[in-house]
Amino acid sequence: MTTNIPITSDPNTDIACRTPDMQERSLLRKVIDRIADRCRSRSLFILHYCTGCGAIELPPTITSRFDSERLGIQPMVTPRQADILLITGYLSVKTLKRVILTYEQMSAPKYVVGMGSCTINGGMYWHSYATIKRLQEYLPVDMYMAGCMPRPEAIQQGFLQLIDNIDKGKAIAWQDYYQQYDKYLANQQALFGPDWHTPTDVIAEARHYELFTEKTTGEHTALLAKYASKYVTLQHEEHEEIVK
Amino acid sequence: MRPENYQPVEHPASQEYELYFGPNHPGIEGNYALKVRLTGDEIVGIRADGGYLHRGFEKIMEDRLWIQNVALVPRICVPDPPPMEETYARAVEMIGGLEVPERAKWIRAMILEMSRICGHLFILGGTAAPIGQYSNMFWGVADRDYFLDLFEALTGARVYHMFITPGGVRRDIPDGFLDKLSHILDYLEARLPEYDDLFFNNPVFHKRAEGIGIITQEQALAWGVTGPNLRACGLALDVRRDDPYLIYDKLEFDIPTETSGDVLARTMVRRSEIIESIKILRQIIQHLPQIKGPIRCNLPNPLAWNLPEGDAYARTEAQKGELAFYAVSTGGAKPWRVHVRGPSSMHAVQVLEKLCLGGRIEDIALIMFSLDACPPEVDR
Repeated sequence: MTTNIPITSDPNTDIACRTPDMQERSLLRKVIDRIADRCRSRSLFILHYCTGCGAIELPPTITSRFDSERLGIQPMVTPRQADILLITGYLSVKTLKRVILTYEQMSAPKYVVGMGSCTINGGMYWHSYATIKRLQEYLPVDMYMAGCMPRPEAIQQGFLQLIDNIDKGKAIAWQDYYQQYDKYLANQQALFGPDWHTPTDVIAEARHYELFTEKTTGEHTALLAKYASKYVTLQHEEHEEIVK
Repeated sequence: MRPENYQPVEHPASQEYELYFGPNHPGIEGNYALKVRLTGDEIVGIRADGGYLHRGFEKIMEDRLWIQNVALVPRICVPDPPPMEETYARAVEMIGGLEVPERAKWIRAMILEMSRICGHLFILGGTAAPIGQYSNMFWGVADRDYFLDLFEALTGARVYHMFITPGGVRRDIPDGFLDKLSHILDYLEARLPEYDDLFFNNPVFHKRAEGIGIITQEQALAWGVTGPNLRACGLALDVRRDDPYLIYDKLEFDIPTETSGDVLARTMVRRSEIIESIKILRQIIQHLPQIKGPIRCNLPNPLAWNLPEGDAYARTEAQKGELAFYAVSTGGAKPWRVHVRGPSSMHAVQVLEKLCLGGRIEDIALIMFSLDACPPEVDR
């Protein structure tokens, strides 16, 4: 039997319970973010998910010859601990579902790198019925590496640029996913059908990161609420408004 | 800690559970998945789940010119692309009645054997990784890079060369290339005893690999197993010997076989094939300078190149097994139909399912890597 511990502190007076005012902590937050970005950029884990042919150039990049570990970049097997989602080449529709699922499981801040021409405009498979053509319609992309396939030197140059971007606080595409979730969801639904949903509650996460905007929800997230209401926490009034 | 609103879900009493193995999993080769049903760690049911890398090659090839497809075919199999180019080029030559110059044939054979060594080094490293021997993986990838450098000197690209075109090869070998190749073959030969100490004679590897994933001769023939996996069952079948293409009838080489048909036998066959490929390359280095002549026959304007009506079936001994292209032309500028018979589609689906059944979960990755299945080629 579980016992509920009574809450003794008053949320209005106790400073630990009070939601801090944005204005009040903005300077502190800026400083902390700056330090965190600098630390983050020195230790990046790539998710070990070989989505396409570009994966063949990753073993030389990571192992002894080009050794990306000296940049602090290592492969990591679980999405929860990974920072970089490296899309190595073309994505078939079946893989894209798994990639979106994986992306939403990763904890923010997270960076998507499109590697190879196929992620930019379809590349060799520009008229294939099975692949997607533009990755950025479905996921926010921080960086593209052109080429079929990019050489290990090009991949490392890309990583260096990404490290620089993270250090300067410019690699913030992941915020875009929360801020404009409706747009991304619209493209995903156009591909997978209106009942497409993932187990992750992106809208609740957007509120958690304080990135909720008016574009986070819309007519497409309303569909999400209709088909998979247990996965989404729209506040009641919002839901009513959207359904109207 | 359980949340307060936790409600246990009632499951029917069963020992079995289902596990999704891949596609995002380091123990799987490429983007491929297996749905495994287990009791404890014993596999009671397994189902291959491919299609993650489907690009519709056979369909998009019908939309492109014969010559445009040269750039498309190597992408079918990522670790071992040159056999794809060669087989497609040969099918086109058979339909169009093109005569390949002698020198181009020797250069083609050289590229195929270099690619075979590359692929074997890569997959031997891959076989070592699931049992925790990462050093071998690092060595294999690093030694493969020497050959990729050679490919770069020869063709200008590391992985996808697009060097073998219908009618010959794109350009002649650069000055001093054969010396470089010879030097790297010497290096690799001197390196093999070190590989033996680290991996091939390693008792840990023998303990894990012996008696795992056995294919008998009858099963191998019934399931359509080809390549090193077939030769590990004791059958000395090799397209290079049985149906010689290019210049393989002029070369001397053995077909290494093993008898037990398990993971260890397949690995040892690959090791012996590296030695055979080195032998073949040495003969090519010796003979190639004496063979003079053009490297490509005269082709018509590739943008208005209509092949005559007809069909052709060309087959090659690729690094992973028997590879074949069946091309049909109706007299147009584009193929009417191109069918690809890849070795991995047999190995990675039917054979892998049957070998894993009744085994244990920790052997799935080992069996998959020992079969040398290539998911991009399974899905195509």
